[in-house]
Amino acid sequence: MSLKKKDLQTYRRDEQFGHRLMTPEERIRLLKPYLPSPPPSLNDSNKKLLPKSAETTQAREGRFGVRRFLKKNFYLLVFTAIHFFFSIYIRARQACHAVSDRVYSLFQHHHSSPELIERDVKGLKRLPKHLGVILTLEDQGRSGDALEKLLNEAGEIAAWCASAGIPELSIYEKTGILKGYIPEVHRALSTNLQRYFGSNYPILSVAAPHIPPVETAIPRHRMSDKSSLKRLSVLLISAEDGRDSIVDLTKTLAEMSQRKKIDDTDITTELIDAELSESVMGEPDLLILFGPHVELAGYPPWQIRLTEIFHVQDNQGVGYQVFKRGLYNYARANFRMGR
Amino acid sequence: MSDLYFPGIRNWILGSPPAEMAKGWLRKTLIGALSQGPIPGHVAFEMDGNRRYARSHKIETVEGHHHGFEALARVLEICYNCGVKVVTVYAFSLENFNRPKYEVDGLMQLAKVKLEQLMQHGELLDRYGASVRVLGRIDLLPPDVLEVVEQAIENTKGNTKCILNICFPYTSREEMTTAIKTTVEEYTTTPQPHSTPFSQSRITQKILSTQDKSKRTLASIEETPSSNLSDDDAVSTSTTLHSESSVPRAGDSEKVAIYPNAETITPETIDKHMYTADCPPLDIFVRTSGVERLSDFLLWQCHQDTHIFFLKCLWPEFNLRHFLPVLVEWQYRKKQNLRDERPRRRVKSA
Repeated sequence: MSLKKKDLQTYRRDEQFGHRLMTPEERIRLLKPYLPSPPPSLNDSNKKLLPKSAETTQAREGRFGVRRFLKKNFYLLVFTAIHFFFSIYIRARQACHAVSDRVYSLFQHHHSSPELIERDVKGLKRLPKHLGVILTLEDQGRSGDALEKLLNEAGEIAAWCASAGIPELSIYEKTGILKGYIPEVHRALSTNLQRYFGSNYPILSVAAPHIPPVETAIPRHRMSDKSSLKRLSVLLISAEDGRDSIVDLTKTLAEMSQRKKIDDTDITTELIDAELSESVMGEPDLLILFGPHVELAGYPPWQIRLTEIFHVQDNQGVGYQVFKRGLYNYARANFRMGR
Repeated sequence: MSDLYFPGIRNWILGSPPAEMAKGWLRKTLIGALSQGPIPGHVAFEMDGNRRYARSHKIETVEGHHHGFEALARVLEICYNCGVKVVTVYAFSLENFNRPKYEVDGLMQLAKVKLEQLMQHGELLDRYGASVRVLGRIDLLPPDVLEVVEQAIENTKGNTKCILNICFPYTSREEMTTAIKTTVEEYTTTPQPHSTPFSQSRITQKILSTQDKSKRTLASIEETPSSNLSDDDAVSTSTTLHSESSVPRAGDSEKVAIYPNAETITPETIDKHMYTADCPPLDIFVRTSGVERLSDFLLWQCHQDTHIFFLKCLWPEFNLRHFLPVLVEWQYRKKQNLRDERPRRRVKSA
């Protein structure tokens, strides 16, 4: 309630003294002018209590509702005006952001060089161990090159992660189209990694929940320094790993309970957490969105509890500057966890 | 607003009657204008930043929470005047029990006093037609607070125009766990058997005996398949084995344990067991104080089409001027989405 200054001060003084200064009646009197008129159904019963307000509202309505008509049209006018100006503002903002993002991406290009990316993240206090990204399939996959574009984006992000030293990457794509082509995804991603790293490319494993991973075969000449090899594991997830996986878990639990194999008290947050992180994935530390605004589009709900969510306002498409800013933002953010 | 208690000239001018009247009028106009467009059905607020506000204004932490409560009252007024049906606020997390004891006690007292006041002038909520609900583990509350909470819920039950959900000790994971647990419970409590003239156990026995007969004639060495199924096999092929799984139990007594098929569990089933079961889908999620995390709040409800806004301002400062852009942007996106969908529909119909 936007109380008037004087009333607010009275209220706060009363509050400081533990609400002993005023009686409930006085407080009601203080707040009364700010309340809306009582609902029509209550009018009859309240007439005795508030004869004045009931009368005034009736008078204000007018006999033919002319006032109401004018008021409504006035509001519509203001509404249109607000949206007119807002659409100008938002277009200007989008244009502004588009230009600045272009400039950003020109100056902060990775030039496909792992050394440059490594230098970019060198000063950061901490890096996410598990990075999540949300990618979208354009036009719902109807245009022919949508899948190819998706693969390219995934390849670039995988290469940036490998360069920055992030060991785990999970790629969320709503429809789950990538899950059908895991060997192809592996090939595309490792080709891009070789482009970045040359012969010293990291070992890549691509997996999806309930699907065994496809791993890069380690060439013989690199077998010797097996432990020093860089590794990157990529997990492909989709909308079915969100709500549906929780539903599947419930089904299993219900069946087990029907067979009296578990008790209801066995179902705890820890059990569900263990099951879901085992069969789907654990919590990502950082989630980077490449869309213009924050919308999770069915991302697994259980796993985003404490995930830092990063997006660049009005951004369109995957870009290295978004990735880099996301990492910088993550390094700055501090965790407090209810404290 | 560092001169919180030392009003200066600027505040004197802003606090003068004409300025206040103009402000009130502007506010009313803006709210009235906004309610001409599409209005979200369900808005959630994560009220973050009370303590940082208190620290930056050099006041007690508990007092920061008091100012936060005032902001909440402001926001509720805006929402209900616009026509928002459900407002959900995160008042207290289960993790918050880890905070210093005096602060937890202060928060509990705050909740108790405010709810008591609401009860004293019950008309306040009746005028908005709002009913209060408290979501979460209310069994963990101190008994005196619990009593007030229950009374508040009881007193406002009759109001149906809008709902205020207060999440008080709440975490979303706990909510999801409870939903899963109650779903499982629902599927393991046998529904009342239909009173048909046919006895189910007699039918099953009949089938069993005919099966046995046929098997005996075929191969007397083989055992019945249902008895040598290992437990794990039964789980993996449960879709087809449902009638069989209850057979061993059916044989020995009259009452037949026929459970609802667990395969019929859908996201909607679990939805129905959430604390927010009968609320419309969440349209807007607002978190203040610049933290870009969900922090265990309404995870199940907000991970699909909800528009999430992370705002820089601290919660006690939250006012119409912060909420207005959020609402307008949401309306703008809604319009944009409609415009995008229209040509697609035309293509489909052609």
